[in-house]
Amino acid sequence: CLQTEKILHLKSHRGRKVRVVREHYLRERVPCYSSLCQADCENDGKVLPGDLTHYVVPDVGVVVDFLEILEFRELQGVVFTQTACQAVQHCKGRRQYNRLRNLIKDPRHDCVLFANEFQEYSYCPREKGESQEKWQTRCVYSAAVWYHNHLAGMKDVVMITEDQDAVAEYSSLNAGVYVISDFLQNFWPELQPAHELYSSISQALQEKESESSQKEYTEHLPAEILEAGIKSGRYIKGTLNINKHHDEASIMTEGLSNKNNDPSWAVLVCGNKNRNRAVHGDTVVVELLPKSEWRGKVTALSEGEEKSGEDNESKPMPTGRVVGILQRNWRDYVVTFPPRDGTQSQSRNSQRILAVPWDRRIPKIRISTQQADALQDHRVVVRIDSWESTSLYPNGHSVRVLGRAGEMETEVQTILIENCIHVPPFSDAQLREMPVNSPEKPWRMDPVQVAERRDLRETHLVFSIDPRGCEDVDDTLSVRSIAGGKLLELGVHIADVTHFVAEGSLTDLEARIRSTTYYLADRRYDMLPAVLSADLCSLLGGVDRYAMSVMWELDAQTLAVNKVWYGRTVIRSSYQLHYELAQALLNGEPAEVPELARLEPEEKDAKLAELNQALETLTHVARHLRAQRDRGGALELEGVEVRAQLDEQRNITALVPRQPLEVHETVAECMIYANHWVARKIQETFPHQALLRRHPPPRQEFFNQLVESAKAMGFTIDTRTNKALADSLDRAVDPQDPLVNKMLRMMATTAMSQALYFSTGLESQDQFYHYGLALDRYTHFTSPIRRYADIVVHRLLTAAIAVERGADSGRAIASNKELEELAQHINSKNRAAQRAQKLSTVLFQCLYFKERDPQTDPQCVADAIVYSIRNNGLLVYIPEYGVKGPVYLKNREGQVVAAGEDGSCEWQSGSLRHYSDRISTTSSCGTSTFRLCDHITVRISVRSTSSHADSLNLEIISNKPHRSAEPQQPHSQGRSQLVQEVVRQAEEAQQQAQEKAARRPKLSREEREFSQSKTPNLYSLLEEVRELALMDLDTAARVCVTSAS
Amino acid sequence: MGNVVQRRTRGALRRCPFEVCGNMAGLELLSDQGYRLDGRKATELRKVQARMGVFAQADGSAYLEQGNTKALAVVYGPHEMRGSRSRTRHDQAVINCQYSMATFSTAERKRRPHGDRKSTEMSLHLKQTFEAAVMTQLYPRSQIDIYVKILQSDGGNYSVCVNAATLAVIDAGIPMRDYVCACTVGFVDETPLADLCYAEESGGVSSLALALLPRGGQIALLQMDARLHQDHLEALIEAAMTACKGVSKVLDEVVRQHLQEVSVLTGE
Repeated sequence: CLQTEKILHLKSHRGRKVRVVREHYLRERVPCYSSLCQADCENDGKVLPGDLTHYVVPDVGVVVDFLEILEFRELQGVVFTQTACQAVQHCKGRRQYNRLRNLIKDPRHDCVLFANEFQEYSYCPREKGESQEKWQTRCVYSAAVWYHNHLAGMKDVVMITEDQDAVAEYSSLNAGVYVISDFLQNFWPELQPAHELYSSISQALQEKESESSQKEYTEHLPAEILEAGIKSGRYIKGTLNINKHHDEASIMTEGLSNKNNDPSWAVLVCGNKNRNRAVHGDTVVVELLPKSEWRGKVTALSEGEEKSGEDNESKPMPTGRVVGILQRNWRDYVVTFPPRDGTQSQSRNSQRILAVPWDRRIPKIRISTQQADALQDHRVVVRIDSWESTSLYPNGHSVRVLGRAGEMETEVQTILIENCIHVPPFSDAQLREMPVNSPEKPWRMDPVQVAERRDLRETHLVFSIDPRGCEDVDDTLSVRSIAGGKLLELGVHIADVTHFVAEGSLTDLEARIRSTTYYLADRRYDMLPAVLSADLCSLLGGVDRYAMSVMWELDAQTLAVNKVWYGRTVIRSSYQLHYELAQALLNGEPAEVPELARLEPEEKDAKLAELNQALETLTHVARHLRAQRDRGGALELEGVEVRAQLDEQRNITALVPRQPLEVHETVAECMIYANHWVARKIQETFPHQALLRRHPPPRQEFFNQLVESAKAMGFTIDTRTNKALADSLDRAVDPQDPLVNKMLRMMATTAMSQALYFSTGLESQDQFYHYGLALDRYTHFTSPIRRYADIVVHRLLTAAIAVERGADSGRAIASNKELEELAQHINSKNRAAQRAQKLSTVLFQCLYFKERDPQTDPQCVADAIVYSIRNNGLLVYIPEYGVKGPVYLKNREGQVVAAGEDGSCEWQSGSLRHYSDRISTTSSCGTSTFRLCDHITVRISVRSTSSHADSLNLEIISNKPHRSAEPQQPHSQGRSQLVQEVVRQAEEAQQQAQEKAARRPKLSREEREFSQSKTPNLYSLLEEVRELALMDLDTAARVCVTSAS
Repeated sequence: MGNVVQRRTRGALRRCPFEVCGNMAGLELLSDQGYRLDGRKATELRKVQARMGVFAQADGSAYLEQGNTKALAVVYGPHEMRGSRSRTRHDQAVINCQYSMATFSTAERKRRPHGDRKSTEMSLHLKQTFEAAVMTQLYPRSQIDIYVKILQSDGGNYSVCVNAATLAVIDAGIPMRDYVCACTVGFVDETPLADLCYAEESGGVSSLALALLPRGGQIALLQMDARLHQDHLEALIEAAMTACKGVSKVLDEVVRQHLQEVSVLTGE
């Protein structure tokens, strides 16, 4: 049933020379993916447009070495040959190959893959004695000729190669195909970044050739030996993880640590020689050293805070050395070019620079460039090309210059790149997919859609409760009593983003890549274009909007669920309330509802009563739900703390400690409930392909610190279950000091593990449990505007509804494997977003304090609370600025802090004693003791380095609480002012520079505003404050309690 | 319908040496464009070529190539029981199968052409397959010998043997219920691949071998010793059946061609 031909391939197999015969089938019809095709090829998917001047067929060498240049979107009409793709896989490994595959799949790039080796006429068998390179070039050439003929000569085909011999050989053949080597100069003379990249790569390649042959490292073992060694247990496979603070690496062994749940099963790798060219994040294979060479972990608080426990200081750990690398995990790195000081090894080759990566875990990278002088003290994006055993440092090439180190814009870009966050402005093609809503052409609902959906506009009182001034309203609520008061109908209505974002559309792909909206300290990068996120998807008051609804019929007395309805609806939100207003209404305080301002008094009263009734019912239901979860063991952890207050221009006027309003909890509870029920629905309909969110129980040993500290303060904490933990935390209250309970909750928070998205097909059902919320199934459904996971869940729910109706959903939903990949991607992006947010906050703190002189400026002295005790210092929290950091009680000279009579501290020689709940220093002045929850006064200064991020340095100046000389300003204002001030300073500096350089008029405020979210924005600050307050950022993520809405 | 023999070998407990989707060699078994290593699409079979009646001495013989896997099958019988009489069955014929591989059939020369564990197991499978297909009740107290030799091995040895032996049995004139056609299928990237070649088989694919009586859709033998999610099994068997039916079409053509040649020779 096939018309194929058979051709034999000779191959020598690995190891011994073995003759392997392989079949090779050729066919006449291979799709060409060009819209000019005359022969009716089955071109499904991406096709090359017909309106280009030429098609480009890159040679094997070009694809292997210069793939990065081909990634420029400006280069259109690129035809990759199968020969070239295989060569990439062969000599560059799977990672580079996947990159090429993604490039080909990406609909934004104009390139296709032509399976030339399976085409009858473009395939050329390798001749006897022909070298591989020659043969590959011949294949590519013959593919180019085929392309030309296939398109009946309508399109010029250009083959680009770096091989001058090939140019000489083939350009004379004159088969309608141009073979050239200087493609960029001829066709893209104005594409400057590509030229720079080109010269940087080719320079790096040349350097590689002239490498010396002196061995610096032992060679890696070949892959088969590694495989065999791992299987036999001789070697251990794992991911190399380098400690941020010490130059110490360890291997987290994947399979083993999960199984026996033993955190100590990490292998230490000491020193560069043993690390053998592995870079942070690589998947490596290690061999254990003999027991006599095992070493212990370094645990002294030398620099920065330390997470590891204090007791295993001297216990030797398994120690090993890297024998091979299975998978490189190189990404783009930001490096700083060091200033020229003459001491560098310029003598040998002046073009080679050792650049220092921003990330301390990455080794220095050797860059060859001609712009070394121009780039001094600049931050540059580089990529590592190779790391030969003969070279002490890896070789790389520069990709892009970010700007001068220390400038705000440069530093923010650095943070984004270091976390692999790529947020270009939305392209025209993406924006073209968006519906239009302008005053001239207002957006209207489609009557077909309205007919299909359940219309709640007339029947239900729908309202939203959000922070003041919120512009992307994801969620609205409704509640009413039906069946003569016997039943209650509670409804949660979520913006129907999936209606506007079709699966597989460009917007969807972009959103999937971003996975979440990124909030930095001074800006945000939206996941969806603004027309959706702030307008058409946002459930604003008084306008018709599409929604995705979950509605419960509850028994009015017992509040037991009678029936649940899921479906698409049309709603019109009647009130857009904010939290304070809603709470005021609930409390019966006089409050002005803007929507009712213009009504007659009687009508107004009636409406107000109706709204009040709804709010009260809602609160009642939410209390019940909360109680239900509390019985299950839901945790209340230290989370939301301060809140931003805004004026009309959405500037933040103050950060005030949040009044814990009950209405916050009410809304959050309804959202948790909706998420839970949606999780149930999709999990029941698609038992193997639902996207849920689980929160694994924390490891018991992480609670040690909490339990010990609590014991020292006279409380017992039971950590066996989440219920026991919640109860014992509730009991641990010191009537004298409310901070004690807060501190304990904070410690519990740091012990938590991270909540994760996952596909249900991958875990057994008992693993679905959400520890923090005490729910057996949980997912994210309620914020599709800013989280991609919610979009996926919306699609699943739509499919589930279709299945329930008996209608086939038409399209297969994602398989378990695809979904799991997606879940991993979203998880990693979420982590990156959190890291970036944290780093940007630190950056702004540093920029703020950099302007000030720590010795004189009163802003630099602040009150701090001790929240943890370490071997040689304290970890403190400064509420005024939201800063957490270490305070050392012992300096490098071995002196300790001694407190005088008035509490002022100074360095003196003495000794330090460390207990579980306190630390005391003894010196000639006597003994001073620091306990948990003590208030002390610290001075803040900036420790700056040229090539890394700056950090804050805290120094103790008194062991008494800080009393400011001036009248105390309202507390906790610091951060908002801080961000504003830094932004203002940066803008001023920028303007000055511009004026100097070009004498151009200042940028108008509008102009600056229209670039993507540059101004300190309400949402970003709110979110930031919400997530950051008092908690460490990476722990903030673990507390999903607060991120439910 | 009573002739369905299902067999799972070596028990389900034995773990497959490879992870289900872990493809150790790093080769891309199915490209994004839907091509396999050798240029076939997922459902396409390798080229099948066959001849019947290659030896005059035996009662029936056939030579079959499926891609680069080449097999020779020879059938003797039905004849009186030889060797131990104790195996004699008074209501049906006994089928005796022997599978062997030529020493030169693989890339590295084999030491033992037959008699090792693998060959014994394969012989047993062949026996079971043909007991389900041959109308043994027509020849009580007799014996049918089927000898199959792999001349060149490139994946799918079992199915090629079954296909070759079917032709040989037909050549010997022994009545069968239907052609027995066999094919292997593998499962890669949620797609069933028909008729695996050696590179695919060794690439860590969970594969399944199926012998089918195509007209009735009865399964003569189903063998699988890799890990596979239960949900995918049905799709895989479905693909295997389609592939087997494709093979049966080719075999049918070969038989008709052969008959024509023979009838021309004998002048009928």
